[in-house]
Amino acid sequence: MDYLAAFAISGSGMTVEKMRLDVTAMNLANVNSSRGADGTMFQPLRVVSGVRTDPRFEAAMAAWGVQLGGAQVQQLVPTDAPPRMVLEPGHPDADSRGFVSYPGINPVAEMTNLITAVRTYEANVVALNAAKTMAQRALDIGGGGR
Amino acid sequence: MSIDAVGFIPSATAQAIESKLPGSAVGTGTGTGAAPASGFGDWLASEIAQVNDKIQSADKKVQDLALGKASNLHDVMIALEDTKLSFQLMVQIRSRVLEAYQDILRMQV
Repeated sequence: MDYLAAFAISGSGMTVEKMRLDVTAMNLANVNSSRGADGTMFQPLRVVSGVRTDPRFEAAMAAWGVQLGGAQVQQLVPTDAPPRMVLEPGHPDADSRGFVSYPGINPVAEMTNLITAVRTYEANVVALNAAKTMAQRALDIGGGGR
Repeated sequence: MSIDAVGFIPSATAQAIESKLPGSAVGTGTGTGAAPASGFGDWLASEIAQVNDKIQSADKKVQDLALGKASNLHDVMIALEDTKLSFQLMVQIRSRVLEAYQDILRMQV
């Protein structure tokens, strides 16, 4: 069923963007986290996504020699951003010179990620609605002259 | 089952349609070996049963969402839309069948 393939593809895109938003929210939430429960510093994460071949779509595209499908999260990689050093003598996590290391998170870049994720999610919803509208127009064939 | 009178359906298409219907004489046997009496009615019943299964699984997903077990919202919405389209298709088939039935009822004897 190829309209179901369109649904599955848009849905996988939404899943990826949702993951991107979750990870960005996690990064933003930990801007001021000096250490985790295990004592190590939080390292900002980044979502790496890639194409996922969908068996339902492969059959339709095989005639053109292409393999297409939805998207999927390939991996969650910690960025190698250097820690942000803040002079806070007396802080329990301060080093011998009085500096506390916070995760190297760039709030501006994270906000940009956030906006991109939301807009891409919206684009996936629009694509899905277009597929749905197309299927509904097909069901209108021969019915009541609309 | 012969559709010779309806000339605009290519015979290859007609054969393909007939071979999909269980219990049709032309069908080369899909392996299930349905009873000869079964036909369009049984096929329609199985399709309706599939739509019913879809409705029930969508219902289950909404229940999971309400219970906080769903992993994401869009999967539930996509399942609902999918179910809605299947149901609309079923309603369209029903109205076409009823139209044909009423056309036959109106026939002059």
